[in-house]
Amino acid sequence: MNNGLAGTTLRVNLTTGEIKRFPTDDKLFRRWHGGRGVIAKLLYDEVPRDADPLGPENIFIVNVGIMSGCYIPSGSKTEFGSISPLTNGHGDSNMGGHLGPMLKFAGYDMIIFTGISPKPVFLYIDNDTVELRDAAKYWGVGSLDCEEQLKKDLGEDFEIATIGPAGENGVLFSCITHDFGRQAGRTGQGAVMGSKKLKAIAVRGNRSIHVHDLESLKKQVNEIIQRTKIHPNMEPWQKYGTSFFIRWSNDNAVLPAYNFKTTYYEDVGKIDGDQLIEHCLITHKACFGCWMNCGKYTKAVVEGKPVVHLEGPEYETAATCGSNLGMKDINHVAYINWMMDNLGMDTMSGGGVTAFAMECFEKGFITKEDLEGYTIKWGSLDDVEHFLDMVSHKRGIGEWFAGGSKRAAEKIGHGSEKFAMQVKGQEMSGYDGRWAPGMLLSYMTADIGAHHNRSWTITVDMAEGRESIEGRANIVVYLQHIRPLFDTWCICRLFWGELDISPEEIVESLNHISGWGITFDEALRTSEMIWNLTRCHYLERNRDIGRVFDYPPARSWEDKIPSGPGKGKGVTMEQIEQMLDDYYEARGWDNNGNPTREVLEDLGLDFAADNLEKIGFLGKPIPGGVPPVRGEKYKPKAF
Amino acid sequence: MVIYLKAGSELRERLKPDIDYYTRRIKTEEGKTIREILADIGINPALVAFVYTSGKVKGLQYIPSDGQNITLQPPVAGG
Repeated sequence: MNNGLAGTTLRVNLTTGEIKRFPTDDKLFRRWHGGRGVIAKLLYDEVPRDADPLGPENIFIVNVGIMSGCYIPSGSKTEFGSISPLTNGHGDSNMGGHLGPMLKFAGYDMIIFTGISPKPVFLYIDNDTVELRDAAKYWGVGSLDCEEQLKKDLGEDFEIATIGPAGENGVLFSCITHDFGRQAGRTGQGAVMGSKKLKAIAVRGNRSIHVHDLESLKKQVNEIIQRTKIHPNMEPWQKYGTSFFIRWSNDNAVLPAYNFKTTYYEDVGKIDGDQLIEHCLITHKACFGCWMNCGKYTKAVVEGKPVVHLEGPEYETAATCGSNLGMKDINHVAYINWMMDNLGMDTMSGGGVTAFAMECFEKGFITKEDLEGYTIKWGSLDDVEHFLDMVSHKRGIGEWFAGGSKRAAEKIGHGSEKFAMQVKGQEMSGYDGRWAPGMLLSYMTADIGAHHNRSWTITVDMAEGRESIEGRANIVVYLQHIRPLFDTWCICRLFWGELDISPEEIVESLNHISGWGITFDEALRTSEMIWNLTRCHYLERNRDIGRVFDYPPARSWEDKIPSGPGKGKGVTMEQIEQMLDDYYEARGWDNNGNPTREVLEDLGLDFAADNLEKIGFLGKPIPGGVPPVRGEKYKPKAF
Repeated sequence: MVIYLKAGSELRERLKPDIDYYTRRIKTEEGKTIREILADIGINPALVAFVYTSGKVKGLQYIPSDGQNITLQPPVAGG
């Protein structure tokens, strides 16, 4: 058994109610590192290619990885995975908080849910006691309210993950909520839980985790603690979290406003970090094993509505549900944040879908008659509240939007797909890539659709020249290898990017915990293996050449930025095509964006090459062979 | 006058600290903004989201005083 693992994997058949325990497969973890990696392999192996993501054949996995729960900076993450109903490909998403560590303390590394329960249930875990319990009284209850109720019923010391009405009703961008404000938001994992009638997971445990070399780990981490305590960026991080970057994004023409029409928001001063701290902040909040406290526990006070408590809005929500909706009051943004949290919707996709509806209404593509007599206008909190109610309950045209903006555009027509701001069905995060071409390429090529945490290049774009696309592909590939590693190890990446903890140091911690004795280059290679497998899986499920899935919506190249510091800037279709050519070359894929046998075999994915070949989507051999190192080998100058 | 700029992460390498691991002593003229000072020492101001001094966040238009300690905050990906 690997050190760092709790030792047991649970398989929960929701159809029959049978719960089986297995020794955790340490070879599987050693090869795929846990978290996103193990999830990618299990989804590839176990889910039939034609399985409905919301049907009984999809599986839903909770994985805690090797490092979560251990004595390291912010080893707090829990990774969830299933075939995404939003993208119809490999889906994974993670959250901070305390759930993952508690799951390990109870003795479990992974839970694999199969089938569909005949009635609403929640999984109850208290060390050796593992039971499916009736959830009838919690069904229909908001995510945050349900967590509060379960804590009252079971005990404050249980860690709980819930879904809300959106997940129960099959809204495809539903999230999983934990710790009253930590979400696994992306790829619709909450919808998969809902389809399985799984309302919540409640865990309590008090065991320890054995690590390979505790003394070396303690020595290393104690040194990191001393070093980061005096890091100059620690104090502003603790005080403000991520919300302070709203103004910077606006100043530098990457903040989405009015459904990504522009990148300049004239009312940014009404929704930025200053406003959050002054009007909403109650206290700071941290995840397990973290002394950064970047979470902000807040309240929203809006006349005529109940005072509500939440965590956030952090940057992404302030962008996607603030400037992108034309909101002009931080309390209104916080209230939308709370509504989406309690309904159980991802705020990034939820904001993107709502902004898309606002633009459709503005253009007359949807009307008051479609909206039960309401409007959906920029900046109107009441309109948003009514719209989200329609979407979360799939009432009327709310059902169209419950499938995300791509599916809604197919129903609405009028060429609205041009401004459905998504890739592969998943809405963009809180950055516009028209004057940050590396960021646009990151969205285009991310394996789970348009998500910033696979690769975030905006400072690279600024440092290397925002008009140029040169060199972006190699950097995007590099970042797509390093950033998802954190989701594989189930730890937070903020200590890396913000407090100078190097990836090499993190690999050292991994070795102290696991005893694997690997290098950073080996870790990057594992990440590349995972990336190629999720690409193969996507092609096998969606049956076309890869390139057709990698284009952004037409607004990205047809519309130049109309206002602010980025006025007149934008990329061309020729640049987009060139970036894709460069990207595929950097990955060793063919010009269609299909992985080649040479790369797949180099990574030990012979089986995936065989499967792609059978369906006719294996990449054609590259003249001159594939590059021995895909992407930047070493850290770019800026990222 | 003299100010003391501090930076970590990628910005630290660009700042080239000389006082300690994070800090560089900068001789500059009174009345200059942080944006102007950054440009003077060859740091692209776009790579600095804001500055932090005396417990408060300030924009790049901030004009520092003699002897002030100022932390440069790089932008990051949120979420």
